[in-house]
Amino acid sequence: MNKLLVSDIIDLNDNNCILNLVNNDITINVYGDNTIYLIKEEINNLTINMQNKSILRVYIKDNDIKNINNITINQEDNSKIYFNVSCSNNDNYNLRVDNNIKGNNNESYINIRNISNNGLSKIIINVLVDKKTINNIAVEDLKGINNGGFVHIEPNIVALSNEVEANHLTTIGGLDKDSLNYLMSKGIKEDISKKKLLEGFLKSNMDNYINENYGGD
Amino acid sequence: MLELINYNLYINDKTLFKDLNLKINPGEVHVLMGKNGVGKSSIASSIMGSTNYKVDGTIKYNGEDITNLNIYERAKRGIYLLSQMPMQIEGVTNAEMLRVALSEKNNAPVNIFEFSKELEAICNSLELDKSFIHREINVGCSGGERKKIELLHMWMLKPSFIILDEIDSGLDVDAIKLVASSLNKYLKEYKPAILIITHSDTFINSFDDCYVHLLGDEKIIKSGHKDLAKEILTKGFKELSDTFVISEN
Repeated sequence: MNKLLVSDIIDLNDNNCILNLVNNDITINVYGDNTIYLIKEEINNLTINMQNKSILRVYIKDNDIKNINNITINQEDNSKIYFNVSCSNNDNYNLRVDNNIKGNNNESYINIRNISNNGLSKIIINVLVDKKTINNIAVEDLKGINNGGFVHIEPNIVALSNEVEANHLTTIGGLDKDSLNYLMSKGIKEDISKKKLLEGFLKSNMDNYINENYGGD
Repeated sequence: MLELINYNLYINDKTLFKDLNLKINPGEVHVLMGKNGVGKSSIASSIMGSTNYKVDGTIKYNGEDITNLNIYERAKRGIYLLSQMPMQIEGVTNAEMLRVALSEKNNAPVNIFEFSKELEAICNSLELDKSFIHREINVGCSGGERKKIELLHMWMLKPSFIILDEIDSGLDVDAIKLVASSLNKYLKEYKPAILIITHSDTFINSFDDCYVHLLGDEKIIKSGHKDLAKEILTKGFKELSDTFVISEN
C-alpha cells in the first residue's frame, strides 16, 4: 500500500493509501472512490471536502492517539463518507468531528470506538444537515468502554430538512460480562479473554480493510 | 464423570432445585425435559460455572469437587456448554479464538497447517462454508449457523462433558439431522458424557439410547429412557407431572 506524506493540501482520486499527516491544518479534497488510513499522534484542523460523486473510507486506529480535534467534513452532492476511529487511551483524550451536509443525496456514517483506560475521553460528533436539502442519510454509531477511565460522548445530529434519514446509536459501559464468560467457557483465561474482547471491540470498527492490512487475523 | 450431589440451585432468592442428585458417566446421554421456566437452562449454566446462580451442595467432575471453580477452570477440565443462543463476539474471529484456546489447552503453539486442515474438514462435515473460519464469532449469523459454529468449536476443542441447551431450537428438520449425526459421530469417537435439554423427539430418537429426566418444581419427578420422552411429548408436562406427583404421594 502506498504511503503519502501530507503537509497542507492533497487531492485524492481513486486512492487506497496510508496518509502520514506531517502538519496540522491539512485539507483533503476527495474525488472518486478512496480508502485512507491516517497516521498521526495528534490531528488538528483537518478538513475533508467531499466532491460530487466521491466516496471516502477513513480509518484511524491507534492505541494512544492524543487528540483528534476539529475534523470538518463538508459534503456537497452525491457523496458518501465512512469515518471510522478506534482507539484506546491511557490519558485524557478529545475527539471532535463536525460534518456539514450542504447538498443532496449524501451519506455519512461516523463510527467511533473508544476505550478509556485512564482519564476522560471526550467525544463530540456534530452532524448538520442543511435546510432545503433532500435524500441525505446521517448515521452516528458511537461506542465507548470505561476500562478504568471514563468515556463521555455527545452525539448531535441537527437536521434542518424534513427529507433526511438520521440515526444515532450511542453506548457507553464496561466490558460485557456475558461475552467474557463466553470466551472463558472456551478455555481462555480471564485476562486473555478481556484482552481479546477489548482488541475485538476496536477491530470491529475497522472492517476487513484494517484486519487485512494492519495485523488482523 | 459428572455428579450433582444434594445440589440446590437458587436465582436471586428463588429456589429452583432442592436436593437434586444426578450422575452422568462417560459415553452416556442424559436428557432433561420440563415445562418452560422450570430451570433447565439454569442447571446448564450453573454446571458451566455461571455466577448468576447460587449453588449449595456439590458438583463433582471426574471425582474432583468443582463447585467453586470458575468458568475457565471448568472449561479447562473439559466441560463445554452449547447454549440456546450463542453470543456474538465482535472483532474476534473463530480461528483466532480457537487458536488461543487450543494453545492454552495444549500448552504449546498451534501448528497452523494442521489447525487449518482440521478446521476445513470439520466445516465440510457440518456443511458450513469455510469463510466462517475467519469471520467474527457468530456475528450476523442465523440461529442455525450459530449452532454449527458452536459444533465446530466443540470438534476443535474436544471436550469430555458436553451440555447442549436446546441446540435444536430454530433448526429445520434437515439441520437437526445433521447436528444429531455430528454429535453421534463425536459420541462414538470420543465417548464424552452428554447432557441435553430439548423438546424434540427427532433429536432424542437420533441417539441409540439415553436417560430421560422429567423436571418438576424443585426436583426430578421421574427418570426413564426414550419411552418416557415419548410419553412426555404425547401427554404434555402438566398431565404427566400431576400423575407422577400424585402417585408418589
